[in-house]
Amino acid sequence: MDDYALGVLTNIGLFSFVALSAYLLLIAGEMSFGQQAFFGVGAYAGGILTALYGWPLPLAALAAMALGALAQFLVALPTLRLRGLYFAMATLAAAEMARILFELLHWRRSIDGELAGPDGTQGFRGIRWIFEHGIEPMHYLGIVGVLLALVVGLFLVVERSKLGATLRGIGQDPELAAAVGIDVQRVKLGVAAAAGALAALGGVLYAHHNTYIEPRNFDIMLGVHSLAYALIGGLGTAFGPLLGVLLDIGVLESTRFFQGYRMIVFGGLVAVLLVFRPRGLLDERMVLWIRQRFS
Amino acid sequence: MDKAAFFLSLVLAQTPQADLRCVPTGEDFVYDCSITLTRGGQPLEGADVTVGADMPSMPMAHNMRPAKATPGTKPGEYKARLDLEMLGEWAIKLRLDGPVRDLLVLHYEFDSKGASPSKR
Repeated sequence: MDDYALGVLTNIGLFSFVALSAYLLLIAGEMSFGQQAFFGVGAYAGGILTALYGWPLPLAALAAMALGALAQFLVALPTLRLRGLYFAMATLAAAEMARILFELLHWRRSIDGELAGPDGTQGFRGIRWIFEHGIEPMHYLGIVGVLLALVVGLFLVVERSKLGATLRGIGQDPELAAAVGIDVQRVKLGVAAAAGALAALGGVLYAHHNTYIEPRNFDIMLGVHSLAYALIGGLGTAFGPLLGVLLDIGVLESTRFFQGYRMIVFGGLVAVLLVFRPRGLLDERMVLWIRQRFS
Repeated sequence: MDKAAFFLSLVLAQTPQADLRCVPTGEDFVYDCSITLTRGGQPLEGADVTVGADMPSMPMAHNMRPAKATPGTKPGEYKARLDLEMLGEWAIKLRLDGPVRDLLVLHYEFDSKGASPSKR
């Protein structure tokens, strides 16, 4: 496999984590424009722990996920009191606040005689754990792929469980769910924390793949795309967001067939799908049809 | 010079430094670039240089095909053609193998005239 294919596949994998975190909130009935913030929290936390404090990447990833979960839980506490568009706007505002905090973050330490660490708008260079441990791009793609498969597997298990039915019930009709005794607010807070952890995992992997991060990496474009991928791919299964990422990064971008017009095509695709298939290509009806056909 | 500054200068002497100059080819978003690599003030020759690029404002979404740089005519000079997707700021990633193994990330603003280091 050449460097280009490796890069495209790794990016598809990395983007899938943040798209899945947006999807998780969507099936619980909440539209977040702010998942990029928790992706950024993971990227910065993981990078600081490996580059400045010498933590091994797996441990740093776990810590970053915990921090991502905590961050989104704290944001969700006040914002989940809002509904619909107001919640979406609040998540976007929170994400912009996070990005500005990254711009103000200066956490420099001398490593082998050289200053390293986040330096505000100058970014954070030298996240070199992967490079220093001799992990080749092909192996890194394997790590991203295995982690993504584990996450998707977990989604599939949850979606077939009582918890999955509860989440979809809350997403479809929160009043009805509350009427049958479900603590809607508590479940949504749990979902928010899980979504934060998932986005943070993607962020850690991204930071170590890229070796460099900066606040602008985590602006609204990333949030809008991750949400769009979930909506395009479909809300019927966890494969939906992956399909969305694959369509944009894997087909529109990589083939260069629409070079220069990709964003127009992508925006048009989102608009058309929202009209004709508001719950995406792999919506609940399509997933049911596929299950019936192949079971 | 204090001790810290002395050690810093020693480290910087070992860290490869890169400079990039690009000119448009006439084809949309395609640039011919010249990369100058130095280490400790001396030209770094014989390196295997692969050039990649990513847009900081849209990470992971623009996948430029990595270009293998070829040695130029001057010591420490390497040539590569970059086929970008649009104008704007790009993070140019240089992967060095051979006598020195390293990863360098440079930020350049690409416009119709060429490329210049990003102002921050």
